[in-house]
Order: sequence, then C-alpha cells, then structure tokens
Amino acid sequence: MQNVGLTYKTSVVKRPTLKARLKTIGRSNKHTRVVNALNSVNLDVHYGTVLGVIGSNGAGKSSLMRVISGIVPPTQGRIEVHGSVSTLLALGVGFNPSMTGRANVYLGGLAAGMSRAEIDSQFDAIAEFSELGDAIDAPMRTYSSGMYARLAFSVAATVQPDILIVDEALSTGDAHFKEKSLNRIKELRTADRALILVSHAMATIEDVCNEVAWLHKGKLMARGNPAEIIKQYREFMQVGKSAAANEDV
Amino acid sequence: MSAPVTVYEPFRAGLPPLGSYLRSLWARRSFISEFSRSELREQHYGSVFGQLWLVLNPLLLSGVYFLLIYIIGGQSDATRYGHLTASLFLFYLISNSLTGGVKSITAGQRLILNTAFPRVMLPISASVIALFKFIPTLFIFFIMRTFLGLEYSWNMFWAIPVLLIALLMGLGMAILISCINVYFRDIASFLPYMTRSLLYLSPILYQASDLTGELKRFEIVNPIFYLLDAWSQVMVYAQAPDLFSLAHALIWALAIFFIGTYFFLSRERDFAVRL
Repeated sequence: MQNVGLTYKTSVVKRPTLKARLKTIGRSNKHTRVVNALNSVNLDVHYGTVLGVIGSNGAGKSSLMRVISGIVPPTQGRIEVHGSVSTLLALGVGFNPSMTGRANVYLGGLAAGMSRAEIDSQFDAIAEFSELGDAIDAPMRTYSSGMYARLAFSVAATVQPDILIVDEALSTGDAHFKEKSLNRIKELRTADRALILVSHAMATIEDVCNEVAWLHKGKLMARGNPAEIIKQYREFMQVGKSAAANEDV
Repeated sequence: MSAPVTVYEPFRAGLPPLGSYLRSLWARRSFISEFSRSELREQHYGSVFGQLWLVLNPLLLSGVYFLLIYIIGGQSDATRYGHLTASLFLFYLISNSLTGGVKSITAGQRLILNTAFPRVMLPISASVIALFKFIPTLFIFFIMRTFLGLEYSWNMFWAIPVLLIALLMGLGMAILISCINVYFRDIASFLPYMTRSLLYLSPILYQASDLTGELKRFEIVNPIFYLLDAWSQVMVYAQAPDLFSLAHALIWALAIFFIGTYFFLSRERDFAVRL
C-alpha cells in the first residue's frame, strides 16, 4: 500500500427533507461533511505474515480492510495485491434465513468464491466444525444467533485464499467455539499465505500475530512487534492490562 | 511471483478490464443461479402453496382475463384472449426484471460492503428470477392455446429469437435501473407508475393494428411495442413476425443493454461508498 487515503462524504443535514435540500440550492452552506477514513497509509504485508490491526473505534481498520480487498477504491495512493483475497469482514454474508443451514453452506460458500465441487468436498467438514448436528437441515430463521454465527464462521474458514482478511469475526459463539475458531485461524497460518486480522482482543492478537499495525484516526501510528505495539497502544489509550482490556480495547 | 496481481487505484468513471471482469463473472455463475433460487424461495416462504405460486400466478391472471373477456365482455374471441394472455406473460418477464432489478444493488448492501465480486451479478440475478417466473407461464399458455383451438405451425419457432430479445431487453433494463437507483432512490417509487404506463402504451389490452392516427407515430419510441407485437404474431397467430418488428425490438434491446451495462460497469466501483 503506497500513500493510501480514503475520504468519503457523509450527510450532516439534521432533517434530510426535500424542503431542507431545496433551501441549500444555490447557497454555499454544504449539507455534507468529508470524513478522512484513511490518511496516507503505507504498509506492506508479505506472505507468511500474520498482521494484527488494532485501533480504537473509528480508527479506519474496517475501511483499510475494504480498500485492501478491493471493495472500496482508495481516493488516493495505490494498492498492489499479489494473489487471491478472501474476506471475512462480516459473518453470514450471502446467507438467506429462509433456507436451511445446508443450503446456506452452498450459498455462503459460492458467495465467498468457492466452486460447487469445492463445497461438496468440504461440506461434511463444515457441518462437523459448526457442531449443528441435525439442525443443519432446519431453516436458519430458527437458529439462535450463536448457531448462525457458528455456521457462518465454519463456511468462511473453509475458503483457502492466498490472502485472508478477518475483521472481528473471531468473537463468535461460546467460549468453546471461540477457542475452536482461534485454533482454525492458527491452522491457516502458513508460509504461502498472508493473514490480516482486525480485533480489539489484544490477547488474541498477541497470540496469533507476528506483526501488529496500529491505526488511529486513519493514520498508521506504529507497526512492528505485537507486544511492543500493543504496549504503546495501551499507554496511548490509557488502559491497563485488565482482563476486560485483554478482551476488548 | 506467479500469483495474479491486482492493482487498486482511485476511482475514475470508466470501464474495468473487461476480460478479467467477464472471467470473474463466469466463475460466479453458480452463485447467480443459487442466489436467484434462494431469493425466489424467499418470496413465497411461509405461504401454503410455496413454489406452486409460480404456476398459480399466471393461471389466476389468465382466469381474471377470461372473466373479463368471455363472461363480462360476452365475447368468444379465442385469438383476442390468446393475444392478451401471451402478451401479458411476456410483459411480466420484462416488468419483473425491472421491479426485481431496481433494488438489487441497494438491497445487496451487505454483500457489496463485505465481498469483492462483479456487482452486475445482482441485476443479472433479478433477470434470472424473472425468467424462472416466466417459464411456467409458457407451459400454461401452450396448454391454454390448445384448448382455445389456436393452430400450430413451424413459424412458432420464431418465438426463440423473440424471447432472446425480450431477455436481453429485460436484463439491460434491470442493469440500467439498478444503477440509477444507487444515485436516485426515488426511481423505485416511480417505477410502478412507469411499468403501468408501459402496460397501457403497449399492444397488450389491444392489438398493435388497432392503433390509428397520432398515437401510431409514438409506437417507435416504445422499446417493447414491436417486441410484443412480434410475440403475439408468433404465439397466437403462429405467423412469422415482421422483420421490422424484430429489428426494432433488437435495436432497442441492444441499445438499452449496452448503455445500461456501460453506465453500470463504469460506476460500480463507486457503489460501496454510495450505499
């Protein structure tokens, strides 16, 4: 990533009515505000790297992931991606709640770019990983939020791209499933793959990643050894190393 | 390095590299089919008849017009009834493409904001759904026209090119209107009145030859006027369509498809920011 910036306009009109819009015609007062989501970010991630991305809410972490994966074009700079990218930015993308879990495995897998044959061969592993049992053949409308998230993660974690981008998707299900998900992510760490992990869970980042990038208000504040960067970040945020902070900062 | 390299730079209105775009679209064809099927099932989820509504809808529609022509109107004109139902079924193929397509991008917000894929897949899915809804109407029409005693001939194979033109027209309209809706959301509220006007301006409730005088001059600006006329000639009268009708329909279909696709592809990288 070279000098990457992302700005977008957001409406600041208190009451977005036709009357308010007509009033602004021909006047200099604008009803939009420009947000600098990313500001001249330079970053390179090599194969074999597991990069953790940390930062407070609104730091630009999700924007950065969307720019890297080609979902949103940057407004400045250039990004070069070598290899296939798979994103796990939200769970259950492409799912249809009226369909059974089984049908959604296909729907979600196809949405993630897998072929039908790949899903066929992986189906049993996905169903087993989700621990849904017979519920896999029930409509997803009947699922609890935990069951929904478990199946969604199981599908997403099956995709085997060159570059995998995971945004806050590890905090799914109960403690047992969280651990299982984390182990799955660890299995995906290989020398021929780059992994980018966005999380507020510092313990997870320190455990899984071999590098950390810290973003603040769209700027890259620091990058390097996970323990050091996390320490700097904690000091900056004035947060101690409590159990709660370990989970979410 | 052998891995494919993708470069992302600031958005400029213009076409993406078409070769890789089409390859990516082709690779996702299974998703288009599965997504369309699931959307179709969702529409009738929880209803008693479920997918049977795909057959019930055209049956009831033709029943209503049977009531109008034969019972209330007191006529027994089989060709008029056949013309009305055949034209109406093809009209619904196009209007379902439009109504499904208009919100295909805005409704696919979650997919667009979280996955990189050729966005044109969404209006294509809307057209595939319209086609899935149309296929049962064809069977019903053929059963109906047999009962009506309308004659069959080899000329009816002209239905294939006419239908292909209609599909291209519906797809082009879905692509164009889905893109317009990203920038001008009010179009979705205008659409029911637009399709209703199109219904009355097209030779469905009347025959193309019934139009006379001033109105006849405006036929040419209606993209589906000659398409529906050609369809009626083929499906009801079992005659070959006029070459002019086919050419008119094809030119409109190609124009709408290419303008819509150009507009869509050149803007689609901007959609995620607009949603």
